[in-house]
Amino acid sequence: MSILVDINTKVLIQGITGKEGSRAAREMIAYGTKVLAGVTPGKGGQTTEDGVPVFNSVAEALSQFPEVNTALVVVPAPFVLAAATESIEAEIPLIDILTEKVPVAAVAKMIAAAKAKRVTLVGPSSVGIISPGRAKIGSIGSSEMVHAIFTPGSIGVISKSGGMTAEISRILSEASLGQSTVVGIGGDLLIGADFLDIARLFEKDEDTKAVVIFGEVGGTYEEQLAAAMESGTITKPVVALIAGQFSEKLPQDTVLGHAGAIVSKGRGSAASKIAALKKAGALIANTPEDIPTLLRTIL
Amino acid sequence: MKLLEYQGKELFEKYGIPVPTRVLVDNPAQELDLKFPVVLKSQVPSGERRKKGGIVIVKEKKDLLDSLSNIFQKNIDGFLPEKVLVEEKIDSIKEWYLSLSYDTDCRAPVVAVSPVGGTGIDSARVFELYWKGDHWELPQLQGSPRLLKVAQALLDLFLQENALLAEINPLFELPASPAGGQDGSFIAGDAKVILDDNVVNPSDRPYLDLQGDIAILASGGGASLLNLDILMHHGGNPANYVEYSGNPPASVVEELTVKVLSRPGLKGCWVVGGTANFTDIYETLLGFVQGLRKVSPKPTYPIVIRRDGPRQKEAFAMLKEVAEKEGYNFHLYGPETAMSESARIMVRLAYSS
Repeated sequence: MSILVDINTKVLIQGITGKEGSRAAREMIAYGTKVLAGVTPGKGGQTTEDGVPVFNSVAEALSQFPEVNTALVVVPAPFVLAAATESIEAEIPLIDILTEKVPVAAVAKMIAAAKAKRVTLVGPSSVGIISPGRAKIGSIGSSEMVHAIFTPGSIGVISKSGGMTAEISRILSEASLGQSTVVGIGGDLLIGADFLDIARLFEKDEDTKAVVIFGEVGGTYEEQLAAAMESGTITKPVVALIAGQFSEKLPQDTVLGHAGAIVSKGRGSAASKIAALKKAGALIANTPEDIPTLLRTIL
Repeated sequence: MKLLEYQGKELFEKYGIPVPTRVLVDNPAQELDLKFPVVLKSQVPSGERRKKGGIVIVKEKKDLLDSLSNIFQKNIDGFLPEKVLVEEKIDSIKEWYLSLSYDTDCRAPVVAVSPVGGTGIDSARVFELYWKGDHWELPQLQGSPRLLKVAQALLDLFLQENALLAEINPLFELPASPAGGQDGSFIAGDAKVILDDNVVNPSDRPYLDLQGDIAILASGGGASLLNLDILMHHGGNPANYVEYSGNPPASVVEELTVKVLSRPGLKGCWVVGGTANFTDIYETLLGFVQGLRKVSPKPTYPIVIRRDGPRQKEAFAMLKEVAEKEGYNFHLYGPETAMSESARIMVRLAYSS
């Protein structure tokens, strides 16, 4: 099986008429994902080149397609809060935000609202989610190479970095280790679903045998996963690759890489994450190429 | 974006948070009308000003010129102050710590309070704010009404100015006034405010000068961090940190290439990224070549390129032609060569000549 997206995924794309939105729509459809509707305020009544009907609002789209169960948000950063709020209010169970550089204040509000409505928010700055051979949402896996890079199998991948989702999956696939689902959670300071939220889903997924995470200096999401492994909430094997060890030599408060990678007061350093994960029983990879080797020792 | 103390205090005044009587000076001879003793505060972006001589108490007016001259010439963590803040010294009975920030455990704003100032957030008690559907509400805090008023003003500033951190450390508590019997007022001794770059500088790309000799053009927020780790692990000295993510147009890559390769003393250049999901590799490397042509003197050092993603084959065909016709020392690698292997190759080529 897989988590979050599968053959029953039915998508609404907010921002479908924009450059990123239309490209994502085309590639998702080419992969076999069901894209039922798009939303762009003021462009309701149009149909995209790929034949997807466009509506002015989420409510309008849902009145015609009540079976939609996933929203993909690809609108420009200043409009993300309003767009995501529409989908949260409509209680669409999965909302994936691709847009980068969303103001942190807006993200905090979306997270609080999503918690209240019990919907799963992924992102912002998520590259998307793919369950190889079943469905994908977002920009993950460009069409010309997607089938070579992402192959069906039993490894769950969670990554703060969009680029590393493809790099890690390609390395896994070359080692004949397919993936159940690959999730880009984004590298922002505040994110919807974090490593632990996604790991809980993999924990329940029968076909996932091990979880690979790509983490980074900054924040405490890796440490939270480590704590859950220690307490026995997460029992499946975890292989972790954590970037940003060099940045320990930089002045405090230096913002690097993704917006969440703020080096601050010892908390959230790459070294502290690696120590916590190692203590909790995770295997630590030093390079992406180490990952299949480490997985072979536990599978 | 990190504000200097005086900029933070201007925001504090705007939101009604009391600050000391003060004058901002940009030269030692500037006349000022303040009660002594005063505190001279170097306006540099360092967290260790006190330890490194950036905060000096002057008791009498006759010593002011000398002290100001000294502090203007005092280098702190690589920064010389353009401005010095001169404040009347505050006599307090207690120094507090108060801050608003976002916490990644609860993924919400938090207020941190400590009756022991100077030490920072590590010893403070941290409380999550509550989302009330249309606004954030402070939790019930122990403390005087005047302290709560400062906390509410700091919260207003934090939210309305799109701050990631608004910190007062120390927050001075003044003695109770003898006549009224009320508790004392509060005055912000320092101001540390970091604004959200997503709002104030959304087009900024991170760039750091790392003083080494291998220039790096890394793609992707996560992969760029990882690749610096790997290059240093193999003994390379990175000259810079820079990152371009998403699907940048050629012009952006061109500009970055010129910036990164204009540094003297380079021994190599490493263009690296993982397998891209949707970045147009041809467009990206076209931008690199356009930038390369603008760099003078013409780079003769080895340039190791490891890229993979959409249109990678077209891009490499173009690079081969450019290398042949224009005489660049390109070493091209695709997905068959690991990123870490290309780091090892880069280090070997850069330091073997």
